[in-house]
Amino acid sequence: MEDFYKTVLNLGVYAPLGCALAIACLWPFVSARAAKALSLAASAVLAAAGIALWCAMPADGSFAFSSDLTLAGVALPQFALNGVSAPIFALAGIVGFAAVWQAACSEIRNAKLYFMLLSVMLGGLAGAFASVNLLWMYAFHEFALVPTFIAMNIWGGAGRRMAAMQMAVYLTLGALVSLAGIIALYAQSNAGGFGLQDIALAAAANPLSAGWQSAVLSMLLFGLGTLVSLFPLYSWAPRAYASAPTAFAMLHAGVLKKFGLYVLIQAAYPLLAAGAREWAWAIAVLALFNVVFIGFVTMAQRDLKMMVAYSSVAHMGICFLGLASMSVLGAGGTVLMMFGHGASVALMLMLSTIIVNRTGEWEMSKMGGLYRRAPVLGAFFVAGSFASVGLPGFANFWGELCVLTSLWNFSPAVCAAAATGIIISAVYALRAVANVFMGEPSAEIAGRFGSIADMTLREKIPAAILVAALLAVGFFPKTVTTGLDSCLSNVAAYAQTK
Amino acid sequence: MEAKLTFLLLAPLFSAAAIVLFFRSGRRLPAFISVASAGLCLAAAVSAMVSGAGLYKSSFELFKLDGFSFNTGLLFDAAAANMLFVVCFVGFLIHVFSVGYTDGEESRGRFFAGMSFFMFSMTGLVLSSNLFMMFAFWELVGFSSYALIAQYSSTEAAKAASKKAFIVNRVGDFGFLLGIIFCWSAFGTTDFSELAKIVEADPAKASTGMGMLLLCGFLGKSAQFPLQVWLPDAMAGPTPVSALIHAATMVAAGVFMMVRLCSFGFLTPAVLDAVLILCSLMAFCAGLWALGQTDIKKILAYSTLAHLGLMGAGVALGYDLAMYHLTTHAFFKATLFLAAGSIIHACAHEQDIYKMGGLFRRMPATSVAALVAAFSIIAVPYFSGYYSKEAIVLASYARSASGALLDKVSFWLVFAAAALTPIYMFRLFFNVFCGTPRSESAEKARESSLWMTLPLAVLAAYSAVGAWSYAYDLEWLGGKWDFLMPAAATKFVGGLLKLHSPSPDSAEAARFVAGAALVCTFAGVGIAYVLYGRNRGYDPVRKRLPLVYGILEKHGWFDCVYGWYVAKVQQRVAVFLATFADLLFIEMLCVRGSGVVCAVVGHGVKKLHACSCNSQVKWLVFGAILLFALVFAS
Repeated sequence: MEDFYKTVLNLGVYAPLGCALAIACLWPFVSARAAKALSLAASAVLAAAGIALWCAMPADGSFAFSSDLTLAGVALPQFALNGVSAPIFALAGIVGFAAVWQAACSEIRNAKLYFMLLSVMLGGLAGAFASVNLLWMYAFHEFALVPTFIAMNIWGGAGRRMAAMQMAVYLTLGALVSLAGIIALYAQSNAGGFGLQDIALAAAANPLSAGWQSAVLSMLLFGLGTLVSLFPLYSWAPRAYASAPTAFAMLHAGVLKKFGLYVLIQAAYPLLAAGAREWAWAIAVLALFNVVFIGFVTMAQRDLKMMVAYSSVAHMGICFLGLASMSVLGAGGTVLMMFGHGASVALMLMLSTIIVNRTGEWEMSKMGGLYRRAPVLGAFFVAGSFASVGLPGFANFWGELCVLTSLWNFSPAVCAAAATGIIISAVYALRAVANVFMGEPSAEIAGRFGSIADMTLREKIPAAILVAALLAVGFFPKTVTTGLDSCLSNVAAYAQTK
Repeated sequence: MEAKLTFLLLAPLFSAAAIVLFFRSGRRLPAFISVASAGLCLAAAVSAMVSGAGLYKSSFELFKLDGFSFNTGLLFDAAAANMLFVVCFVGFLIHVFSVGYTDGEESRGRFFAGMSFFMFSMTGLVLSSNLFMMFAFWELVGFSSYALIAQYSSTEAAKAASKKAFIVNRVGDFGFLLGIIFCWSAFGTTDFSELAKIVEADPAKASTGMGMLLLCGFLGKSAQFPLQVWLPDAMAGPTPVSALIHAATMVAAGVFMMVRLCSFGFLTPAVLDAVLILCSLMAFCAGLWALGQTDIKKILAYSTLAHLGLMGAGVALGYDLAMYHLTTHAFFKATLFLAAGSIIHACAHEQDIYKMGGLFRRMPATSVAALVAAFSIIAVPYFSGYYSKEAIVLASYARSASGALLDKVSFWLVFAAAALTPIYMFRLFFNVFCGTPRSESAEKARESSLWMTLPLAVLAAYSAVGAWSYAYDLEWLGGKWDFLMPAAATKFVGGLLKLHSPSPDSAEAARFVAGAALVCTFAGVGIAYVLYGRNRGYDPVRKRLPLVYGILEKHGWFDCVYGWYVAKVQQRVAVFLATFADLLFIEMLCVRGSGVVCAVVGHGVKKLHACSCNSQVKWLVFGAILLFALVFAS
């Protein structure tokens, strides 16, 4: 059985990459429809693999399904999943499938290139979360990042060039600094390689000095923080999500952005306990800016997509606060929040594209009354909004609850400040629901109000998949927490605090 | 027992899911499924009460992270049994009523899905065995309330009210959640029975700060000062929703939570003092404000605020009083709301009491039910409201004998609140039912269908006799079926109620207070008759004393102040931050500014590399001089 799962894991990563390669190599022979079908199939393989492996995770949460493939004598990157990465890997598959499906339903020019890039991104994402080698993680992450820039420049919406350039500069800078951090970690621990286990063993035998721990963590925090849009390095995110083509925005905001948090949880905190403790307060303060300051900025947004994009930045604050609490509960809450936010923000981005396309308006105040024309769209939008507000029953609730609970022991004041987020997020999310779906249609859309159609079956499917994922973890949080609990309990950084 | 309670909890959830997924656009099926699930709920609750005398507790770990484990245990004790009976019984009758009420409405499927989902979340809240689980269901009842207020989503009132209800509740939940986390952090558990053990072993462990934070949840959910503003607006929802959620059950969940905590002494005297003064003030003010409303549902909403205030005062005076009044209130207020619903349905959705009139002859069944409930709410002897309200007034009097200013003030407020009830209630009654119709819709009104009148009749009967079994210590069929008399449900499953009777030496004074309250009740009806009984089609107070009426109508200017805060403070801060901090400072100055600096530096450096012979010679000479200067300087 173990061998079977190893194959499944490799299949999950290589299917999208192989798909992209096939489209590229057979360019003249592949029709746009074939490219769509191929990448949809590849993303389905990844989603199935992700869910299967997630279900098959051993309860102790340690690395499983480890496989070293060699191709013509060259060792391919080693893949394995543990309690932290398995749910995120599955998330990549689920959001990936929804994103590719969404793209397959929409009119896209130059579709072959679009689906090729989407597959590259998906393969990169899968590889980044499946790798157990820091350098490969990094490489796969870059692999997933580059298609976003290209896609934004070709298919992006208004203001795409500025947004794409800004995003490229920010994220390259962030990636570069985190690479420097990774190299410093490797060099200082005298490890034999970049494998997580190697570095962990070396660091255990020969711990890094406190000064180096702090320095390395600060580099990682700056670099990875930029990738996750930690205050004040967030300003690439809202504009990029608002103007990126929807499928890429869904994948980036939903999954790729979580990479920074993932590396911090998976690699940095276990290896750099002392450094993490030193930086905990700094992270907490910056993350509170995400929650409160960005929360207020989100309230002031009038453009629907910008509102969704800013809210995603605000929610990253909760994720970082979980890390700052230096506890299993907090870090576990962060992973739950990563999962919940990943699925809910992808859903919201997809739905806001549908709304903007149907109404022809961007500003929420120019919409109104859509529920009467599109009740299913309304129901999904309400589900997405309440998921992001943290209603029980959705995965996000557990994330917020665990993070806030863990924060009390860190500092009651920080906990209280972070908890204002539950009010702030309710304000902007419910305002959006009210302005878009309730009341009378605005003068701007009154003329074409009668022709606005509800979601078609093809559009409902990806939305339903994302809602199902949110509800599944919402009702059965154990699916995530069992592996997570045993996995995180071994981390020294969380040992002292409960 | 486990099976019954789990079934009770899950049946409405499945009903809601089935309606949402498959029968959304149906008309009969959603109603049938939803009513059937509510009926099954009631059956399961009754069967649980018959079979399981005493306490039942289960624990199921939903997940665990390190020291934190989230349990979804069920706790079925006296308080839960009492509340569960109220929720399931009133809930079932209101479901039946809704079948008639929504016969001509769009999105009937959504309405019944919402009702079923509410039943799920409310029963979950009642059966919660710990604070975290209670919080989860607490949020879910908030969501069902939101969704059902938004039923008529294309109206501006529903749009604003649904949002307001959820956000104001979130403000309360903010404190509630912090209180729960504080509790978990301090005691390592939030399980009610564990907490009871801890506090009983060492009463000093109950902390005022924690209690104050938990109190915030009560203030939000039960709409007490200063978070009461959402409840009157929530009347924008369909009337059965107002009856079930915003009168009988959900708003009482806050009181239920406080009763749970009080029953093992978790709330310190300081917290209870705060509850007492806030709630008795609310009871008094809401009674006054009800006189300044003309919308039949808003009058009832303010009356709900007033009675929730009385319950809150009951929490502070002895939690069993609160539970007693909660139960009787659920019956008579549900009756009043359903009667209002029946009238609104018959009058083509007219809600202004000054456009009604003469409905007694046109809708006799509804009118009799309303009259019975009105007698109950104003505390006419032998009607159920009499026993519970009198008990609270007496307890409040007994407490004021201590001489503390706060206790005295709260007694007078509670007494005044009780005295105001007959005035606003009979203002409504005379205007709606007596005299001649004052609008076309009222003229055309006909008695509602049996779907609506039957539940009304049952509820009215309970409003009349619901408290007898307790008050006179009656036993039904050897005690086995006592739970059918709601106030006795608690006695039946383990004995929560031990109402405070005044001590012998103050019995004389207590009798005097009870008599005074009774006189006030009848005097109130008389005042209402003098002021409003002549069916004039306008409000005499409004005409003669417009200033006084204006003050009543503005209900304390809370909405003005909060509206000002939201529009002029919160939104301006948000726009300021978005414009100046986010866009100008971070985005323009820092991000693009650094881009500009790079461009300028690059441009300058590029200039240096200009490939003209002339400039190269200049730089060569400059470099040579610099080099020499450095060499000589060293």
